[in-house]
Amino acid sequence: MKKAIFFFTTLCLSVMSCTKEKTDYEAEINTVVTEHYEFKEAAAINNDGYDISIEALNGTFYKGYNEIRLKISGDHTNEDVSAVTFLPVMTGADGGRTSCPHRYALVYNADAEHFPGYAVFTSESSANETWELYISFTINNQIHSVKQTITVQEQPNKNLNMTTFTGKDGEQYFIALVAPQKPKVAENELVAGIYKFNKPATPPSGSFPDPSQFSYTEVSNYTLQLDPRMPEPSMGNHSSINNKDLTRQSDGLYHGVVNYTMTGNWTLNFIMLNQNGKILKGTEVPTDFTPGVEGVKSELYIDILF
Amino acid sequence: MKKLHIIFPVLFLGMNVNAQNTQVQGDTAKILEEVKVIALARKKIQTEMKMAVSIDEFLASSDNIGFIKRGAYAWEPLLNNMSTERSTITIDGMHVFGACTDKMDPITSYVESNNLSTIDIKSGQEGSLHGATVAGSIDLKRKTTPFTPGKKYSGAYQTGFEFNNNQFFNLGNLSYSSDKFVADGSISFRKAGNYYDGNNEEVNHSQYNKFNTSVGLAYKTSPFSAVRVDAIFDKAKNVGFPALPMDLWLSRALITSASYKQLFQHGLIRVWDTKVYYNAVEHYMDDTKRPENLVHMDMPGWSTTYGLVSRANLKHGDYSAEIQLNAYNNLSIAEMRMYPQDRSKRTMFAYSWPWVTTKFTSLAMNNSWDISENSRVNFGGSLGYNYNRSKYVEFNWIFHPGTPQEKSRILPGLHASYELQVKQFSFSAGSGYGHRAPSVSEGYGYYIYNSFDRYDYIGNPDLKNEISYEANASAGFKNEKTGIEAKVNYFYIQNYIIGRILSLGSPMNYQSVGVKGYTSLNHARIFNIALNARYNILQHLHWKGTITYARATDDKDGNLPFIRPLSYQTSLHFMYKKFGIQTSLNGDLTQSHYSPEYGEDQTPAYMILNISANYSFNIKNCKTVLQVGAENLLNEYYSTYADWGNIPRMGRNIFTSLKFSF
Ligand SMILES: [Cu+2]
Repeated sequence: MKKAIFFFTTLCLSVMSCTKEKTDYEAEINTVVTEHYEFKEAAAINNDGYDISIEALNGTFYKGYNEIRLKISGDHTNEDVSAVTFLPVMTGADGGRTSCPHRYALVYNADAEHFPGYAVFTSESSANETWELYISFTINNQIHSVKQTITVQEQPNKNLNMTTFTGKDGEQYFIALVAPQKPKVAENELVAGIYKFNKPATPPSGSFPDPSQFSYTEVSNYTLQLDPRMPEPSMGNHSSINNKDLTRQSDGLYHGVVNYTMTGNWTLNFIMLNQNGKILKGTEVPTDFTPGVEGVKSELYIDILF
Repeated sequence: MKKLHIIFPVLFLGMNVNAQNTQVQGDTAKILEEVKVIALARKKIQTEMKMAVSIDEFLASSDNIGFIKRGAYAWEPLLNNMSTERSTITIDGMHVFGACTDKMDPITSYVESNNLSTIDIKSGQEGSLHGATVAGSIDLKRKTTPFTPGKKYSGAYQTGFEFNNNQFFNLGNLSYSSDKFVADGSISFRKAGNYYDGNNEEVNHSQYNKFNTSVGLAYKTSPFSAVRVDAIFDKAKNVGFPALPMDLWLSRALITSASYKQLFQHGLIRVWDTKVYYNAVEHYMDDTKRPENLVHMDMPGWSTTYGLVSRANLKHGDYSAEIQLNAYNNLSIAEMRMYPQDRSKRTMFAYSWPWVTTKFTSLAMNNSWDISENSRVNFGGSLGYNYNRSKYVEFNWIFHPGTPQEKSRILPGLHASYELQVKQFSFSAGSGYGHRAPSVSEGYGYYIYNSFDRYDYIGNPDLKNEISYEANASAGFKNEKTGIEAKVNYFYIQNYIIGRILSLGSPMNYQSVGVKGYTSLNHARIFNIALNARYNILQHLHWKGTITYARATDDKDGNLPFIRPLSYQTSLHFMYKKFGIQTSLNGDLTQSHYSPEYGEDQTPAYMILNISANYSFNIKNCKTVLQVGAENLLNEYYSTYADWGNIPRMGRNIFTSLKFSF
C-alpha cells in the first residue's frame, strides 16, 4: 500500500507540472511598456538666489508630450511670483532656432504648489540639435530671466509617439499622444494634444527670444477621427469596434476611445477635421479583411506598441 | 417490470460477496441490483462488429449519439443531435473539461476502452443527476474489479492492426483482487498513420498517437465500507486534424480521484458514495506543419477542475431513489500568440479564454416508484448554481462593454415519466424541463476560430440560460424471437445559443472571413426518432436494424446545423460453434435539411458495408479471440453530415485483432 501511494504521488507530481508555461500577461506588457508615474527633477537652475526646479515624469525630458511642473524656491511666497513664462528653443546645426508646442504663460496652482505646464519636444537632443529652456518670472517687480540647456531623450514608450505635419490649410500641426501610457487589451481612453504653430506676423523684435516668433496654440473644436488597425500582414488589416473619435475636453486635450483586441503593433489612423468639418489631413483606410497584405495607413497616423 | 432491468457488475456488489454475514450479503446485493435500475443504457465496450473499438466507435453504436469528426481522432459526441455544450460528459461522475477552444479534445478522448466498463447514456433531463443539461448525460464508467474471497489475478491483453491507416495498438490490463485489497491497472498504446479515403487518396494530417494508463486501488475498511483511489493519465501526441488548419502537438490529462463508499444494512439509505477529484488537462496545438499557414500561431490551453460527487441510493418498499450532490471548480485558460512574419518584431497576444472560472454546485434526485407489478413512475429534479468569473474581463468588454466580471445563475431541472408494461408490450411517456448555463466559449470565448464556417466566435457573458422543454415517449414489443421499439423525443429550447454574424469588428485569425457572436435565438426545436428491431431468424442467426431520423429548426423555421439525416443500420450476426460472423450495412440518406446559414452544404447519401469474423479458442487457461474484418468493404468515398469541412471518411479498412484474457 505504501509503495502504491508513493507511486501514485510520484506520478501526480511528475505530470502535474505544465509542459509549457502560461503567459504572465501583465508582466509581459510591463516589459514592453515603460510606464512612469513619478515626477522628478529634470532640470535645476540657480539664479539671483532663486532655485528654479523643473520636474518631469521620471526626471527626464522625452521626445513627444511632457507634462512639467515648475517650482521656484527662495525667500518669497509663491503668491509674490508673477508673469512666469516658459519657452523651449531648439538650435539646429545651421543656427536656426525653432520651438515646439508648449505652454508659455504658467499660472500657479496653489493646491499642487507648482506651476503646471507642458512641452511637446519634436526631436531628441543631439550634436546638431540643442534644446534650451528660457524661463522668466517677476518677483517684487523685478524680472528674472534664465536659460538652461536640457537633454531631450528618445521616448522608449511607443504609446507616447507624436507626429508633425502640414495641414491642407498650410499650417503646421503637431499631434502627440498623452495617454494611455500602458494600454491594455481593452477599451482605453485615448488622449492626445493637437497643436498649431502660429506663423509670426512680424519679424523678430527685442532681445532674444521674442515669444511672438515661437507661438503655438492648442487647437479647439477640431475632431480627430480614429480608425485603429493592426498593420502586420498576417493580421489582414484587423481592426476593433466601439472606438470613439477624439474631441477636445476642458483640459485642452483631445479625448477619445480606442479598443485594442490584442497586444502587438497597432496603427492609429487619423483624419483631422477643423471646426468646420473640413479635412485638414488624413485619408480613409480600407476596411476589408486582407490577410497577407500589410495594412494601408492613413496619410496621418501614429504607430503604437504594447 | 423487473425484466426490463439491466443488471451490472458494480464494485460494491463484489464487496459484499465477501461479507461475513452471508444473509446480509445476499440481501444487500439484491437491493443494489434494484437500486441500479435507473440507468438507461449500459453496454460493454465493444460493438458487435468489432471487439477492439475506440471509445468513439463504441459510442457511435448508440442510436442517439452522432459525431462531429475533425479527423480520425477525438470525435465530438453529439447526443440527441446536440453538441457537447448541451450535454454533461463525466468520467464516473467527475467533471472534466477539455482545454481546446477548437474542441479537439472531448472528454471521451481522455479515456481508453480498456479502462472503462460501460458508458451510461441518459437522454434529456433524466441525465441531470450529474449537472445541468439539455441534451442528456454521458457517463464513462471505469472498470473496477470486485473484492474476492481469495487472491485472484485477472487480465487481458489485446493487440491489433488496421491496414488502412497502419494503426497498431496494444491494450493491456491487469487486476489483482483479494479479500481486503484490489488493484486495477491498464496501459494502452495506439499509433496510426494517415488514412486513405474511398478514392485511395491519402488524407494528410490524419495520424495520431495515444498513450493511456490508469491505476485504481481499493481497500476494504470494513465489511461494508471501502476506500478507493484512481488515476488516469492520457497523452496524445502528434495528432493530425485534417479538417482544421492546425494539428495537435501534445495533449495531456491527469484525472485523479479518491472515494469512500459505505453500504448500509438497514434503513432507507442503502449506499453512500463520496468522491473528491482533481483533474488537469493541457493542450498545445501546432500549426507549423501546414505550409498554407502564412502566419504561425501558438494556441495553448489549460483546464483544471477539482470537485466533489456524493451520492446516496435510497430504497424503501416499491420506492427507490438516487440523490447526488455535485460541486466543482474549473479554471479554463486559452492563449493565442501570433508571430509576425518579421520574427524580430513583437508577437501579438490575446486570451481566447481569459482565465474563466466556473463554479458549479447542484443537488439532484431521481426517484422511481413501482405503482404496480407492471407500471412505474420516475420523477426527479435538480437545482444547480452556476458561477462564472473572467479574470481578464477587459477582453470581454471589447464586445460587451461594461459586462460584469462575475455572473451567477440558478439552473433548475425537473423530469417525470411513466412506464407501463402490458404483456409483451411496453410503453413510456415523459417530459422534462431544465436550464443550462452557457459554456466557457459561449460566454467568454474571444476570437475562437471555427474552421467549419470560417468565422471567429465571440462569447457573450450576458447570454440568458438556455431553457429546454422536453417530451419523450417510447413503445415496444418483444418476445423470445423478435423485438421492436420506437423512441421519440422532442425538445423545445428557449434562448437557444448559436453564433450569429456580427456586422461589427473584423476577424483576427488568418483564415477567417468574419466575426460571429454567440447570441440566443428565441427558440429552437429538435425532434428525434429512432426505430429498433431485432429478429432471431435461427437460433444462431440474429438480425438487427435501426432507423433514426431527426429534424431541427430555429425560430425562423430555418434548419439547424449538424442534424443527422435519415440514417439506417442493419446487421446480421451468425454464430457456429467457436466461429462468429457479423455483417452490417449502414448509411445516411441525402441531407435535405442542411443549413447554408451556418456554413453547411448538402451531404450526399452514402452506404457502408462492413463484415467481420471471429474465432475463439483456449490456450491453457487463457481465452483467446481472433478477429478479422473489413469496414467500408466496398471502399465507398463519402463524408457524413457532421464531417468538419467535408473531409472524406476512411475507405476500406481491414482490421485484425487478437485478445487474450484470463
Ligand atoms: Cu486544439
